[in-house]
Amino acid sequence: MNRSEFINNLRKSLVNIPAEDKEDIIYDYEEHFRLGVENGRTEEEIAKSLGEPRAIAKQYLANYTLEKAQESATAGNVFRAVFATVSLGFFNLIFVLGPFMGIVGVIIGFFAAALGITVAGIAVVIAIPLAPVLPEIIHVTPVVTGNPAAFIAAGAGLTCFGILFGIGVWYLTKYFYLITIRYLKLNIKLITHKEVL
Amino acid sequence: MNIQFKKGVLELCVLAMLAKKDCYGYELVSAISKNIHISDGTIYPLLTRLKKEGYFTTYLQESTEGPPRKYYKITDEGRKMLEELTNEWYDFVDSVNIIIKEDTENEQE
Repeated sequence: MNRSEFINNLRKSLVNIPAEDKEDIIYDYEEHFRLGVENGRTEEEIAKSLGEPRAIAKQYLANYTLEKAQESATAGNVFRAVFATVSLGFFNLIFVLGPFMGIVGVIIGFFAAALGITVAGIAVVIAIPLAPVLPEIIHVTPVVTGNPAAFIAAGAGLTCFGILFGIGVWYLTKYFYLITIRYLKLNIKLITHKEVL
Repeated sequence: MNIQFKKGVLELCVLAMLAKKDCYGYELVSAISKNIHISDGTIYPLLTRLKKEGYFTTYLQESTEGPPRKYYKITDEGRKMLEELTNEWYDFVDSVNIIIKEDTENEQE
């Protein structure tokens, strides 16, 4: 690979990096080639010792997505940072993506539970007053009709609990994002086998 | 030789070099790849990341032989990090040496 092939490859692989950062990066490698040639090396040799442009671009992408996630820990940013870090090497697939997806599943489950509880509570609060009016649609047992107030209160309580649970899970999610970002920073510091000559 | 080690070591090397004098990218890359078998392409992303973390600043210096060269200059933050990493490194080396020495002594018995 000669200089222009390398630079073009690199440019193409840096798709998701903002233009200003991209130009800074290209500047570094243009300078590297220029000085290497001045020192008597061939473009092919320089390109070889630099490594694969795509692997280099992945490192920049991992740094960039992690920086964005630190600025604003939204779901999208955190997910992008995780996948960019995972793309750095196989090691990260097991030790980053695996646990991450597992915890994502648990959190989704919690949200679903919170939603279910809230909906159930609301349903109770609505259904009990309406039961005498719409007997064909809403069926309640005699226990309930005997103590409508108690059961409405229970329904309200359930709704509140569901909402609080939901809020709790939301805070848990934010905390999870912060931990993930910290873990990704650690992982980025490890060298993958692709970077060793 | 195929070594897996933390990029913290590369950080240490870069900061140590910049503590002595301002360097341009190619200088840093050449010095490091002379002694550590790592692809040169690893170093530039590292430099960009460390610059964003505030360990050094960059400036362009006019050169008679072509476009201006980008120089890296260490900051106070960088010097602090250098001290931290240097201490970590020596602690690590000391610990390993102790273990190796003990093992050799045991073998000789």
